[in-house]
Amino acid sequence: MELLCLELDTNIRARPDPNLLCDDRVLHSLLTIEERFLPQYSYFKGVQKDIQPFMRRMVATWMLEVCEEQKCEEEVFPLAMNYLDRFLAVVPTKKCNLQLLGAVCMFLASKLKDTRPLTAEKLCIYTDNSIRPQELLEWELVVLGKLKWNLAAVTPNDFIEYILRRLPLPEDKLALIRKHVQTFIALCATDFSFAMYPPSMIATGSVGAAICGLQLNSSNQSQWGDSLTDLLAKITNTEVDVLKACQEHIERVLVSSLREGHQQQQQQQQQTQRGSSGKGLEELDQSSTPTDVRDINL
Amino acid sequence: MAVHKHILSALRNGPTRRNLFGPVDREQLQVEYQAALHKDLEEASIRWGFDFIRDKPLNSSDFKWEGIPATKVPVLYRSCMLEQAEGDSILAAVSHKGGRAQSPQSDKENIPNSPERYSLDLEKLERTPERGESTGLKRKQTNITDFFQAKRRVVGKPRKSGE
Repeated sequence: MELLCLELDTNIRARPDPNLLCDDRVLHSLLTIEERFLPQYSYFKGVQKDIQPFMRRMVATWMLEVCEEQKCEEEVFPLAMNYLDRFLAVVPTKKCNLQLLGAVCMFLASKLKDTRPLTAEKLCIYTDNSIRPQELLEWELVVLGKLKWNLAAVTPNDFIEYILRRLPLPEDKLALIRKHVQTFIALCATDFSFAMYPPSMIATGSVGAAICGLQLNSSNQSQWGDSLTDLLAKITNTEVDVLKACQEHIERVLVSSLREGHQQQQQQQQQTQRGSSGKGLEELDQSSTPTDVRDINL
Repeated sequence: MAVHKHILSALRNGPTRRNLFGPVDREQLQVEYQAALHKDLEEASIRWGFDFIRDKPLNSSDFKWEGIPATKVPVLYRSCMLEQAEGDSILAAVSHKGGRAQSPQSDKENIPNSPERYSLDLEKLERTPERGESTGLKRKQTNITDFFQAKRRVVGKPRKSGE
């Protein structure tokens, strides 16, 4: 008899556990403990002197790109941003050390969530070697101390399955919805205005935005009506008005992000067409901006 | 992931490998690191009433400390002591003076390592410590059958179904 090794170079995953997914206690526990892991202050108004909100966005975008390139688990990026915000809420940090902090946060989050965590060396290369592995490991200890070693923070991603299970959604659309929800959650993590929102609200708002964006709620109006928001609000014990505001906020950030992306594309096109004379940027036609999520290639 | 790329393309500039905010001041960073660790250690000392640098209990403390030989604690708790002199085999065990099992701040039980006896070694940090290294107390791995009563089928008796 010949023995074959069918092990592939992919991560083996456990199947979703109905004992966890179907039990209300898990969702309730998540809702109870999630507040413990929120950053305590809006730190740009107090603690931080050198760092501006746009710098947080720069480091967040870089972190997301690294996580994507390294094919990290979806929750690694939001979790790393949670560490970053919690650290910045208590420690005044210089601009020149912000990327080091971002790398440390990814290093920790990846250790917690990835099967094959990011290595210190790899992360240093992504900073274009502006930091050394030694420094990364030293600051890992500092960050851990400031986070009081509480690393198992609740992220919006933790809620996705619990929300989706409780909605009457077509089975064949679930994968697509999940993907959109994850994207919206990542988008929220790059934007500081969401940093103080409880993860359950970001998750619920993202599910709402994904379903509306994919227009799954209009095809069978009778089933949903206006009740989608009500239903969502009930699942995570959120107030309907607050949830609506959150969903609209997500949609606004999405639209502006798409517009910026489109503008930048056009800008690049223009620059290649006209050489270096990139004038008339304001005249750019914005009407062709895809504001419908369904127009985005998956 | 394509959605990510599209939506977040606005923020992209060039390759992922990049330095965002200019050069890092290494000396300043080292100073800040030492200061941060020192502060952590001081806070931990006050919290636990134990001077972690001199490895001695503080006089003013809510805890009563007593020494126990290092061989009596699991290997895990010895690892950070390896850099120290080998003859020093005393670790301190803690019990609360009031006899309570837990301190009111039991959620903050983690003590940072002192920089003095914690020289960073990349290889060591990046590696998961192997079990049963030479220093370890060898303990027999428990088998699930250890919990079963030994049974022997008497030859001659008919087999029960399912046996």
